[in-house]
Amino acid sequence: MPITYDAMKRITADLYSWSLRKVPDDTKVALARARDAETNQVAQRTLDIMLKSAIAAETSDRFVCSDSGVPVYAIGLGTRITIDGDIKQAVVDGFSELVETIRPPLLKHVTNPLTNERGYHGRDMPIISWDMIGGADYVDITCQPKALGSGRWAALEIFSFPSLARIEEYVMECVLKAGSQHCPPVVIGVGIGGSFGHCAKLAEYATMRPMLSRNPDPTVAAMEARLLAATNLTGFGPMGTGGDTTALAVHVEYASGHGFTPVAVAFNCWINRRTRARLHDDGRVERLE
Amino acid sequence: MIRVTLPASRDTIRALRAGDMVLLDGEITVTAGLPTIQRLVECAAGTRELPRRLDGAALFHLGSYSQETADGGLEILYMNPTTSTRFNPLMPGLIRHFGLSMVGGKGGLDTECAAAMAEVGCVYLSFLGGGAELHTAAIREVVSVHWSDLVAHYRLVTLRVEGLGPLTVGIDAQGGNLYAALATQAAARLPGILAGMEAQRREQA
Repeated sequence: MPITYDAMKRITADLYSWSLRKVPDDTKVALARARDAETNQVAQRTLDIMLKSAIAAETSDRFVCSDSGVPVYAIGLGTRITIDGDIKQAVVDGFSELVETIRPPLLKHVTNPLTNERGYHGRDMPIISWDMIGGADYVDITCQPKALGSGRWAALEIFSFPSLARIEEYVMECVLKAGSQHCPPVVIGVGIGGSFGHCAKLAEYATMRPMLSRNPDPTVAAMEARLLAATNLTGFGPMGTGGDTTALAVHVEYASGHGFTPVAVAFNCWINRRTRARLHDDGRVERLE
Repeated sequence: MIRVTLPASRDTIRALRAGDMVLLDGEITVTAGLPTIQRLVECAAGTRELPRRLDGAALFHLGSYSQETADGGLEILYMNPTTSTRFNPLMPGLIRHFGLSMVGGKGGLDTECAAAMAEVGCVYLSFLGGGAELHTAAIREVVSVHWSDLVAHYRLVTLRVEGLGPLTVGIDAQGGNLYAALATQAAARLPGILAGMEAQRREQA
């Protein structure tokens, strides 16, 4: 049974809608842990309100944040799937149908960058990254809507043969530049190496990793731990009004490159919007989060 | 927790301190639109008619979804803050012209805004980003919606709220400024943080 247009249209629209209403379970656990460890009273209260807000939205099946962002998908196509229909157009059509039917309705956030006009539709929207997954008989889809706290403060700089110290210093410069403004505590994704575009993608994909995952490479895992501790020493805290918890996680990914080494840093705000599902070649739909 | 009823006296506003948490009752005016803030600047300059009085008002950077109800009334489906620093260049003039008593949103405002706030007796309140359900639950009445030619979250919306918050005083009217203090603190800590990371790298090598 192939991956069909209808199945693709339905699941991509559903993933977007679900992502607006639920803070991922691993993120709620991380927020609760941060609450227990916090020493700053304002931060403790802010984390309490965050958890209350997350539960309120989930219980009432309404949006956690009014800024639903723009729809962004990472889609991995298994090399053993069969396809029936234009599954690329299905994602576009699914979003078009969703904006007409979703309750509560969405605010208009899709922006023409040349005129700043806002609506529900626009060029290249939804934004999709397509990858291949060797040997898999499913399509793996992650939806991560992008708004200010999950997109505005991302940055990339290209270095020549940088030391680990310089790479980590740059990440910290980005942390200080974002400061109080990206609805911390955030998940930080760092991409190192590859090319300009690949590096940015590594950083964005790194923010999608589960909260307690560590990079299997011990050197990179150690970097993740150092950067998380360092970020939380800055003191910006929840909502940037002070505290020990500025980041919930730092995830680092790298790729080999030429020696001109891009370093990209991406953030996802505390609600950490992220949903994921698999469409199997036998017709099953498996919601992963 | 401090409960503040709007409109509040300047003494009440000036008594608030950065780091205090407050609950609000009374009338607030909200918008998340840069074009809206630009229109308010035109109103202050006298080149556009102001749709409702804002003297001493609480003007917040909150986006809301407003719509007409079946009986011709207005309702707000949800409301949540946007990033205030986007409005930095335009806010000092508005704070002074209207003598705003409260501004707010998320992420703070810059030191020029803080200087204007100290002059007139105005505080900045930090709303929880991702707090749509909690903020919306405090709405008791939609007082007015103006500039409906703009997309919903850009409209100038005045609401009566009850128990809105808790909100954190991010900048007070006495020079207390969590955002400036935390940015300065982080910059001062950075050399030590980097040195600590270097020591860990050596240890782990």
